[in-house]
Amino acid sequence: MTAEHEQAPQSTRQPLLELKKVTKHFGGLAAVQDVDLAIYPQEIVSIIGPNGAGKTTVFNLITGIYLATSGEIIFEGQPLKKASPHQVVQRGLARTFQNIRLFNNMTVLENVLVGEHLRLKASILDAVFRPPWVKQEEEEARRRAIELLSFFGQHLVDRQDEYVINLSYADRRRVEIARALASEPKLLLLDEPTAGMNEAETMEAVHYIRRLRDELHLTILLIEHKLMVTMGISDRIAVLDYGRKIAEGLPDEIRRDERVITAYLGKAATADRQTWQVALRPQPEGEANNHHE
Amino acid sequence: MAMLVPSQILPQTGETRRLLLKWVIAFLVPVLVFTLVWSGEAILNAALLAIFFPGSFSIAAIAAGLFMLLFYGIITGLTGYLVAADSGRQSLLDLWISMFFFTVVPILLIYITANLFVGLAASVVVWAFYYYGRRLVRRFRPPAPLPPLPSLKVLDAEMRATLLTRARLGSFWFALSFSLIWLLVDLLFYFTGQYGQASLVFLVWILLRSVLLPVAGWLLGSLGGLVAIRHAVPANGNGSNGDRAGAPVSTRRLRLLSATRAREEARDLVPNDLPLRSTGARNFYLLLLLALLVFYPMIDPFLFGPGTDSRLDNYGNAGYYVILALGLNIVVGFAGLLDLGYVAFFVIGAYTWAMVGSPQLTVLTGIHINPDIWPWLFWPMLIVAALIAALWGVLLGAPTLRLRGDYLAIVTLGFGEIIPIVVQNLDKYTNGTNGLTGIYSPAFFGVHWNVSTSEPYYYLILVLIAIVLLANLRLRDSRIGRAWIAMREDEIAAAASGINLTRTKLLAFAAGAFFSGIAGAYYAAKLSTVTSGNFSFSDSVIYLAMVVLGGLGSIPGVVVGALAVYAVNVLVLPQLDALGNDPSSIIYPIYTHILQVIPNFSFSNIRNLIFGIILVVLMIFRPEGLIPSTRRRHELHHTEAEGVEITSLDTPPGAPGFESEMRVE
Repeated sequence: MTAEHEQAPQSTRQPLLELKKVTKHFGGLAAVQDVDLAIYPQEIVSIIGPNGAGKTTVFNLITGIYLATSGEIIFEGQPLKKASPHQVVQRGLARTFQNIRLFNNMTVLENVLVGEHLRLKASILDAVFRPPWVKQEEEEARRRAIELLSFFGQHLVDRQDEYVINLSYADRRRVEIARALASEPKLLLLDEPTAGMNEAETMEAVHYIRRLRDELHLTILLIEHKLMVTMGISDRIAVLDYGRKIAEGLPDEIRRDERVITAYLGKAATADRQTWQVALRPQPEGEANNHHE
Repeated sequence: MAMLVPSQILPQTGETRRLLLKWVIAFLVPVLVFTLVWSGEAILNAALLAIFFPGSFSIAAIAAGLFMLLFYGIITGLTGYLVAADSGRQSLLDLWISMFFFTVVPILLIYITANLFVGLAASVVVWAFYYYGRRLVRRFRPPAPLPPLPSLKVLDAEMRATLLTRARLGSFWFALSFSLIWLLVDLLFYFTGQYGQASLVFLVWILLRSVLLPVAGWLLGSLGGLVAIRHAVPANGNGSNGDRAGAPVSTRRLRLLSATRAREEARDLVPNDLPLRSTGARNFYLLLLLALLVFYPMIDPFLFGPGTDSRLDNYGNAGYYVILALGLNIVVGFAGLLDLGYVAFFVIGAYTWAMVGSPQLTVLTGIHINPDIWPWLFWPMLIVAALIAALWGVLLGAPTLRLRGDYLAIVTLGFGEIIPIVVQNLDKYTNGTNGLTGIYSPAFFGVHWNVSTSEPYYYLILVLIAIVLLANLRLRDSRIGRAWIAMREDEIAAAASGINLTRTKLLAFAAGAFFSGIAGAYYAAKLSTVTSGNFSFSDSVIYLAMVVLGGLGSIPGVVVGALAVYAVNVLVLPQLDALGNDPSSIIYPIYTHILQVIPNFSFSNIRNLIFGIILVVLMIFRPEGLIPSTRRRHELHHTEAEGVEITSLDTPPGAPGFESEMRVE
């Protein structure tokens, strides 16, 4: 489906997000070392790598939870210098978490409303005195939250008053994404969005992730373990191992890259290409088909 | 109107008849007890006297009479509403027993002990026994679980008419029965000579009353019916929840509403399984409470005899605890910041007015203000004291920003200790251990404060509480309120959603301190002296206890919690002592017996022991507090959500539900 997008050749486009030699040390341990990455608008880029490779650390560096030991992170041409998490959101990046972090004792609607925090203007005094524009703003916010929920179909809208703790895992993931969307980000970072999902749920997730880019024109940076997902959905893939980027390129290139195979399966596996190819074969049928026409 | 055919006042169907019987009797009993056994009738008689016999003219008595009329009107309307709103599925007996325990028992207990808080405390004990007794019974004879409400139909014209009719019938029959029984009782007394020389006025009154009541019942029933219809699921949108505008109600939505909100949360719906808890009923309760609060000083002499003024004085004091609890609720309940030093802001607020509104101002700055003008300064200073306290909230909150949980608590504890001591030691400004005296009361047109009666302070605190309550409600349902709660739930996720944690935490401290500043200024004015030595960490603990006992994060909860804690500490226990020493009271023999065994015994002495026991018991059996917020009840009794369809059997680790499945019996 990537062929459908009118994209100028990469060399003339400005990257939306750029990581330049980003390094993060925790004491003596280099969790991330000299990572370079450029993400262009309306791309879906995946970061993959074995466990402990530093993928979530990269996310945390981008979103301001950690401060980089060295290197630069540049968003829309401006560096994200020492930005705290909420400032990062203000700049236009939103994220989801690997272990879904929803506000458990709030309802679905309230969770999404919290995501709209930056869009709303009412201060604490405005809250107390409630001039008419505040009431209107709240109604607007509710409408918009319902609209966001409806991206996933009607069933979340129907359950907007449920406490999120009662929802299924897949639904909780959707609510978390809706909450991230509520801040109107330009770049969406999804940390293992299909973790813990079965095949059907994974296919659904892949479908709506693609829709996020296609319908909402978002740029998406993805951490994903399921290679089938990454192969099927990504425009480009970056591979990390032990904190370093060992490969980057199109899905087909990555699939055949020696270093990637070694990193995942060890040296012996390079001989056993059959196994690897089988493991990475994209899904034969279904909506998340990655037929490159 | 001429169409009022007699057959219209007869219940048409068996079900209507049953509903009528159910609710009319349910309310008739307590109302009769209140009127005839206690002082309902006495108040009305006094009002009549005041109007028609110039010698006994008293505005208070007339006002009290007005209250009684309001009272009957509200109850009548409520009965009509309930007849209309009830789905009829709750058993008659169940309801009567509940009503008995929750209305008749307190009325009788308060009447017997002639003391509002002792009576209420005794009622609470009775309720605890009833509640657990009922649970035991239910465990042995479990009631059939109610299926979800059958297809909730959108109300059409026919159903509306039915509801209205039912409501009218309900109120009418209630009023009629009430007036008939009352008439009988009065006639009985008259003919057995108890009334002595009943004057013409009384006879006319009895006659008028017996005729007017049923008529009023019919009219009030229409009102009750309208309330019921208003809260029914209409064709557009979702009942009282007006912000879900425009979306037509699909049958699917109704089914979901039915399944997920059938039990406790279907308050907005008519028909309703628990109409007493419905939103419509709550309107009536609030109205009744409002009337009670406003008219209380006038009806108190009839209810409890002499001593009104000291009681009002006490309630005025209880009031500022309510404000403190509401303020602390923002910090601890909404934002989840464990503040153990809340008393510091109270002291700051109190001293702000104390230093400006007393001769101390002259001592400090040499400014001398005309004593006629000086008291008026209270009103602007109320805001100033609150603002200064808020400022200190920010200053004392700032060092705690990076701390979590226990460490935050310790730092706030430290400040809670430091501030009163610092204030005390700045004796050049604050007069140190001697405290400040001669603090002015506020001024208001034609009102004499603190001179002969505590009424002005009582009304002042009512107004202040109303304002603070409104502010709190608005804060909770606003952008900043959601930010606080989100921050409490998960700081990292909150920050990742765009919430500035620093700003939000500081705002929480500031808002909480603001309200305690108001309470402080009020306190200084009312007591007209402040001494910093009176405040310490244990006060902060009391405020925290009020919030936790009442229900963390729940606004009605902390109000009740504050009143309960104040009542137990200040009102109930000394009153029990007084009762115990009074030879004519019931507990006298028990009391003297205890004294024989423990010579130094007094309830006031073991106050802390009792308070501690209550705290422990409550935290074991009802950790979510007296009136928990729906969130908290949900959080702490998550397993009760079994009635809801659980579509995921897998609760991921880290979610609270994960551990609650391991029940330790």
